[in-house]
Amino acid sequence: MIIEALIGITFLAALVVMLAPDEYAGKLAFALSLLPVVGSLYMWAGFDAGGNALMAGSIAYQTQLDWLTVAGYDLQWFVGVDGISLPLVVLSTVLSSLAIVSAWTPIDTRQSQFYGLMLFMEANLLGVFTALDFFLWFVFWEAVLVPMYFLIGVWGGPRRKYAAIKFFVYTNIASLVMFIGFMALVFNLPVGSFGLPEITQSLQAGELSSFVGLDPATLKLAAFAAMFAGFAVKVPVVPVHTWLPDAHVEAPTPVSVMLAGVLLKMGTYALLRFNFTMLPDVATRPLVATVIAAIAVISVIYGAMLALAQQDLKRIVAYSSVSSMGYVILGLIAYTGLGIGGATFQMVAHGLISGLMFMAVGVIYNVTHTRMVGDMSGMADRMPITVGILVAGAFGYMGLPLMAGFAAEYFIFQGAFASTVIPSAPLFTAASMFGIVIVAGYLLFAMQRTLFGEFSLETDYEVRRAHFHDVAPLAVLLLCTIALGVAPNIFFEMITDAIEPVVAVVGGGA
Amino acid sequence: MAGIFDFGPAIVLLPFLSFLIAVGTALSGRDLLPKGGAIPGIAATAGSLVLSVAMAAAVAGGEVYDETIYTWAVGAVPGSDGLELTFGLLIDPLSSMMLVIVTLVALLVHVFSLGYMNDDGETGLPRYYAGLGLFTASMLGFVVADNLLMAFMFFELVGLCSYLLIGFHFREPGPPSAAKKAFLVTRFGDYFFLIGVVAVFATFGTAQFVGTEAAPGFPVLAEQALAGEFTANTFLGLGTEAWFTVVGLLVLGGVIGKSAQFPLHTWLPDAMEGPTPVSALIHAATMVAAGVYLVARMYGFYAVSPTALGVIALVGGFTALFAGTMGVVKRELKQVLAYSTISQYGYMMLALGAGGYVAATFHLLTHAFFKALLFLGAGSVILAMHHNENMWDMGGLKDKMPVTYYSFLAGSLALAGIFPFAGFWSKDEILFETLIHGLDGQPLLLVGYVFGLLAVPVTAFYTFRMVFLTFHGDARTEQAESPESVRWNVKGPLVVLGTLATVAGAVNLAPVRVLTGAHVDFLHAWLDGGFSDLTVHHYAEIDPYSSAYIGGELTTVLLGAAVSLGLALLGLGLAYRLYAVPEPVEHTDKLGSAKDLLYDNYYQDEYQVYLANRVVLPVARAADTFDQGVVDGAVNAVSSVSLFSGSRIRRIQTGVVSNYAALVTLGLTALLVVFGVLGGWLL
Repeated sequence: MIIEALIGITFLAALVVMLAPDEYAGKLAFALSLLPVVGSLYMWAGFDAGGNALMAGSIAYQTQLDWLTVAGYDLQWFVGVDGISLPLVVLSTVLSSLAIVSAWTPIDTRQSQFYGLMLFMEANLLGVFTALDFFLWFVFWEAVLVPMYFLIGVWGGPRRKYAAIKFFVYTNIASLVMFIGFMALVFNLPVGSFGLPEITQSLQAGELSSFVGLDPATLKLAAFAAMFAGFAVKVPVVPVHTWLPDAHVEAPTPVSVMLAGVLLKMGTYALLRFNFTMLPDVATRPLVATVIAAIAVISVIYGAMLALAQQDLKRIVAYSSVSSMGYVILGLIAYTGLGIGGATFQMVAHGLISGLMFMAVGVIYNVTHTRMVGDMSGMADRMPITVGILVAGAFGYMGLPLMAGFAAEYFIFQGAFASTVIPSAPLFTAASMFGIVIVAGYLLFAMQRTLFGEFSLETDYEVRRAHFHDVAPLAVLLLCTIALGVAPNIFFEMITDAIEPVVAVVGGGA
Repeated sequence: MAGIFDFGPAIVLLPFLSFLIAVGTALSGRDLLPKGGAIPGIAATAGSLVLSVAMAAAVAGGEVYDETIYTWAVGAVPGSDGLELTFGLLIDPLSSMMLVIVTLVALLVHVFSLGYMNDDGETGLPRYYAGLGLFTASMLGFVVADNLLMAFMFFELVGLCSYLLIGFHFREPGPPSAAKKAFLVTRFGDYFFLIGVVAVFATFGTAQFVGTEAAPGFPVLAEQALAGEFTANTFLGLGTEAWFTVVGLLVLGGVIGKSAQFPLHTWLPDAMEGPTPVSALIHAATMVAAGVYLVARMYGFYAVSPTALGVIALVGGFTALFAGTMGVVKRELKQVLAYSTISQYGYMMLALGAGGYVAATFHLLTHAFFKALLFLGAGSVILAMHHNENMWDMGGLKDKMPVTYYSFLAGSLALAGIFPFAGFWSKDEILFETLIHGLDGQPLLLVGYVFGLLAVPVTAFYTFRMVFLTFHGDARTEQAESPESVRWNVKGPLVVLGTLATVAGAVNLAPVRVLTGAHVDFLHAWLDGGFSDLTVHHYAEIDPYSSAYIGGELTTVLLGAAVSLGLALLGLGLAYRLYAVPEPVEHTDKLGSAKDLLYDNYYQDEYQVYLANRVVLPVARAADTFDQGVVDGAVNAVSSVSLFSGSRIRRIQTGVVSNYAALVTLGLTALLVVFGVLGGWLL
């Protein structure tokens, strides 16, 4: 029942905050958001699942209730977590709380609605990561878009309308494509429900029948392609990434934090759950694997090159997310324990580090009202602690050992190098690894120009120190990043446990 | 297993603790600690030094230690039961020697900093001592690492500390730029190193340096694989030996970056923007040594790969000469020392590539002492000169700063390789080993030998040009006329290091052994102890070299020593003729355009900046234009077409997406309610 409690409390909190007066909304939202944090940590402490939830593993905190039957299919309230989803649940709750605190300074209109929507989004995110019934999952999946649309469209920058529409339409069309692909599978399986475990096991037992002249193998390939295309937009990978920088630039800081930190992970999470867990025989075809590995490498290198060309600090971090998500794709297609495990770990690690970077840039923006590299220099002189944490976070982004990003990237590289699924795996791996040089390039250049040197700033505003509540979330994220880098087993053991059955299907090292 | 080795982790943790204390002080923003937090750093490095000496004593008693102390992660890959990614301590003759070097120099640099930083009224001292503490901890962690992954991790962390300390004066334009360059250039090398680490794991399933009898480390596995007793995974269709060479060269990328070897040496001269004690500790004695140390650490792996050894020797020999020539024309004290550092590490690489494992380690030891000494001596001069580093503004400091002068002189004699100072013995051994292995049909090594030999007079020349310009002749400026006096905390470390630079050669008097038969090559015996697969004679067995002499061993020893000493004296003599005069002039001007070439570092910086600014950046901008125009343009085109046609066909649609969003939400809610009612679940 704890998952119901978690989601229910968060929805209730959203409602309460929505009705609260603006003056107290931020503090109230933060206080209420601590409840799901405590809940998710409690779930982590008492976690006892084994194996993969979709592949006959034991599921923790499971609830499975028949809800209603439509056209012969049972729709269920079916939730639960395994080693893949729990880390993302914890990430969602922690990052939501911190993002709410980071909104205290910049959000100064319609606060109660803003914080209400943030909590509403969190509740739906928790649903996405815990739902094990396709219908239920899809409801949450779509419902996340709505608060996000308003958060960008109402509280965003000058081009917020354009960015919000682009985000909404782009990802919604993608969802449609994915939905069609998935339904084509389900309707040709002898299953009586939309339960993801049942569908997965039926698919792997080879029970898929032909459909309007398409043999099962072709049908699977078509479904795989449709779902991959749909999720790829969400991740996003090159070339369907262009909504991301626009959304980030217009979104206010806390929204960027959630967008980069958690929403992108919906895409990679879904890729892992649907494409790579349900249809391994398609993903491991040499041609498919080559194409996906190539997409991964291109996302890493091309995304990093785009980041190098930017002058807006937020755009730099936004494009670097494209680059980081490329590593996740590479880890997934590697089909090894370290590869997929590292990819899952990277979802959490990147969530923390990109959240940290967006927040730190936001704190500087609160003070300077500019994010352009050329407009300021020597910020370290005025904001030593913020800049100190930003520098630490930037090195985390560059993959400094003993921080979470290095652990994730190292696992992915190690897992991908020896992959038997990707043809010429060492070459693809080595190519993508060059990203660690480019990321150092653009972050070091940007830091040198904005943070160091003599202090100067083109602004009409008075430059003051950051508030304690601006800096505290940064410090928390930094400490989390270091903790996960020093002791990846906080999550990595349970991840590995849940990955193992997925990998075992293709013999990628048990 | 008990006893002293149980305290091994404390060697790393003590400086880390001093780092935490300094960070706490910095965060508090108040003067919580006397001396800006220097005392915890001094106490911590002193504690680490005591423990390191105790470790060395235990190793001298024949004990060694290799234990895993923390499992970082375990992960599965094909062809292995699960890779164990661990942290562990390896304490053997090589690492215990390095521990003593690092902790001793770190302690002296901490003490020296009292004089250089505190007495000079610097601000931000807690940040400085935090950097020093973290650096010392990371460097020691690297030294004791018992596997390649752990070594890589600490290798990166020292890079971070180097960045932070070079950029200590972040308000000035130079230091942040130099810090960025240092990190970026070494990161380029580390990219190859990281591929190497991944490849070692993928090839052998382990990255342990030593391992156990049942599960040996990767150098031993490589040996076994070549003997056909073990099947290593190879990739890309390469044969076993070819693949090992590739892996060895990949790891070498990190070595070349960190030890500032050609062509990745360009960051080190810029790194002189950092405070001088930092240059002494990080950019002379310890961090730059990390690359060379790494090759020595996994020497068993390189020894079975003749191609990799050849590359190491050639890169090293070339760098020794190449960097030395640039040192000849520099005007600033620290610049001369920077190029000399690059050059001296080139010698060590030459030795490693030529099978001179002991010689390289020996030179690592002596160089750490005499180069730290020279940097600290330079720091003392710079302090006295109110941070003017230009040697042409000095002169005549000999009588005003006798302690600095005589210790600096001892360091210079060692650097120039003059008998009987420390550098003479180690450099002579490097050249000797290269010669005898080269004579046995290894033309590549003979090329390296010639490079190394040519660098000898160059080294002696630039060293004594520096000494004479700084200390001899007449004072050329008012600052040099009345230099500021320095205190005990500056002089003390100089005296300690000056003594070591004079006598440290005694640890391995190899030529004396050949002459007299007495076993006075102590370092050789020291490095021949410990784990049997990591001993000098084992390396000699597996490396591809054997020795040949010119008319017997004795003759070759004497001839080699005489030639290198003669060349060193030649360089010294020339410097004496030209610069040991009351009013010296810049004789290198006579080199004409060659001088410009040298002064501009053979345009090495220019081409790297060109690559960054004129090649990479335009490509990035082009990619950005492409992305905005073509990729995003396609998206916008599709959307405008559909929005346009949509508005024509269905006029009831407003085209305002907030309406759509509201509709979606309402529809979704309605759908839920309908399903709920239908299923009898709501009512």
